[in-house]
Amino acid sequence: MKRLSHLSPDECVLLTAARLLDGRIVWRGQDGRWFDRVAQATCLTAEESAAALEEATAQAARQGVMGVYPVVARKGAPPQPVSMKEHIRAFGPTVHPEFSYAPQPEASS
Amino acid sequence: MKQPVGHYAYESRDREFLQERIAEFEDQVKRRLSGALSEEEFKPLRLMNGIYLQVHAYMLRVAIPYGILDSRQLRKLAHVAQRYDRGYGHFTTRQNIQFNWIALEDAPAILRDLAEADMHAIQTSGNCIRNITSDEYAGAARDELMDPRVHAEILRQWSTLHPEFTFLPRKFKIAISGSPEDRVAARFHDIGLLARPSENGPLFRVFVGGGLGRTPVVGQELFDSVPEAELLATLEATLRVYNAYGRRDNLYRARIKILVQTIGIEPFREAVKAELAKMDLSHYRLTPERVAAIRARFAAPELHAVDDADAVLAQHQKEDPDFARWVQSNTHPHFDEGYSIATVSLKTPGDIPGDVTAEQMDGLADIAERFAFSELRVTHLQNIVLGHVRKDQLYALWQGLKELNLAAPNIGLAGDIVSCPGLDYCTLANARSLPLARKLGARFGDARLQEEIGALSINISGCINACGHHHAGHIGILGVDKRGSEFYQILLGGQAGDHASIGAILGPALSEDDAVAAIARIIDHYLAHRNEQESFLEMVTRLGKAPFKEVAYETV
Repeated sequence: MKRLSHLSPDECVLLTAARLLDGRIVWRGQDGRWFDRVAQATCLTAEESAAALEEATAQAARQGVMGVYPVVARKGAPPQPVSMKEHIRAFGPTVHPEFSYAPQPEASS
Repeated sequence: MKQPVGHYAYESRDREFLQERIAEFEDQVKRRLSGALSEEEFKPLRLMNGIYLQVHAYMLRVAIPYGILDSRQLRKLAHVAQRYDRGYGHFTTRQNIQFNWIALEDAPAILRDLAEADMHAIQTSGNCIRNITSDEYAGAARDELMDPRVHAEILRQWSTLHPEFTFLPRKFKIAISGSPEDRVAARFHDIGLLARPSENGPLFRVFVGGGLGRTPVVGQELFDSVPEAELLATLEATLRVYNAYGRRDNLYRARIKILVQTIGIEPFREAVKAELAKMDLSHYRLTPERVAAIRARFAAPELHAVDDADAVLAQHQKEDPDFARWVQSNTHPHFDEGYSIATVSLKTPGDIPGDVTAEQMDGLADIAERFAFSELRVTHLQNIVLGHVRKDQLYALWQGLKELNLAAPNIGLAGDIVSCPGLDYCTLANARSLPLARKLGARFGDARLQEEIGALSINISGCINACGHHHAGHIGILGVDKRGSEFYQILLGGQAGDHASIGAILGPALSEDDAVAAIARIIDHYLAHRNEQESFLEMVTRLGKAPFKEVAYETV
């Protein structure tokens, strides 16, 4: 994963996890709640992300999520994770468009 | 209930055991969902029941012992796909099936549904003895020396919940064949067994320490002729040596192949013999009576070929060239002259290798009931075999497959691509494999072109764990990650079977499109320069990789 200390100006950090009940991917958004759409993820600076990660990890079990970790993404609506793996987690498997989670930003096509 | 053809018929105690196991797991799931168990505590428990946490959801891997299914079981898998997943399943290179979109809360109900058809997910994960794989033509092939399925079942029963071997240093894979042509990649397994008959009962040639993954190794012969009576004792002793001396401090050095490579085959063999000398062999003796008791739980197909089956088949082939092409590539000689073994390709050009929709599963179950004694075999090359089809009925079978979009005439040809799920679904992967498989499948999808190219295996893995067996492909492709981008290494010259060898890396990794173009140039070069009747693999063996490397990288 790209190092958080080397973010470019158009990048931010998202927090992601898996939902306990069904294993679905979730993104941490407003008020520290978890959403299943990357568009609802809160874009954080590297500095903000450290504290947010600590808080989210501490609350994970109570909120029914597991495996919280940070992801580098390009800012936008929706934000676009930079690694292919996280891109697939955010938008769905590339071989099954019928299972996609959300419209991808034009830049990603 | 009538006994199923081709696999062991459960007894009531088998079913009771499954119900007890499901009840135990159901309680564990409840405790996980309530928070009483942490993920760290729960993970080994769910893995023991075949449940992984993958990229998008929980994944359930269902065991298909020695690859044999009956139509009732396939219908149950279709039901699971439809009710609990997204309408499809993925057949794997270990003769299992995976469902990629499972909810944890549904897992106990799924396992109960599977148990109704005598299926489960036990030992499809974890550091234990995994599903025993076998020859997809078992009990049907003309060249077979001995049907290996009864012994595969004996090994399944021996290894299931074996108290000593539940926490091995790493996972352990066993394959067994009874054919002179090794169709199970015996030399690429932790233990590979080749069975043959003798005047004094079955004998087993035992290979040990083979495997792919991070450190690909061709297995070595441990014993040439283990008598049936000593089979279980020999395996028990081999596993004990591995369990005692296999490394547990390094995940990547923990497989038995590393132990055998480190100490050498001779010292390993001596260690197994020493262990055998300490054992009470009578406890492990596989008597003819015990074997017969297991064999009695298998039903054999009642073959009744019609006299003019060959003539009817020849007429159908003459009338329909597409059917003739399918017969040429997708059937194999049966021991009964009036029958054929038919392979259903799960590699329709442009589709995902190994994926089958619920509708196709139900359709295949119908076809198996109509033409093949309700029996189906999942292959380690991600296809389905119908073991006993009357030759005069092949045409009707093929027409049924066409309706299911499963009639691709490409078995053993360029379109018969083996691929792992790759980064689209697997958390371990570094790169996607399925889009590349689809592109190559489409590029070489033309049946005439595949026929012209001839025998060619293409294997794709999305990471070094090699679930797509890329080292064993005539053309292997390994997905790698370079600073967050996907690249693909090409290997040439790998093969499983009697002359097992590991493919050699051709050169630097390429982008997806460049890799497809490079493979096209490699195949073009072969077509332009091959000797008469020379296969792709033979040409690679004759010339080495240099000329292929030159054409592969000529425009990069």
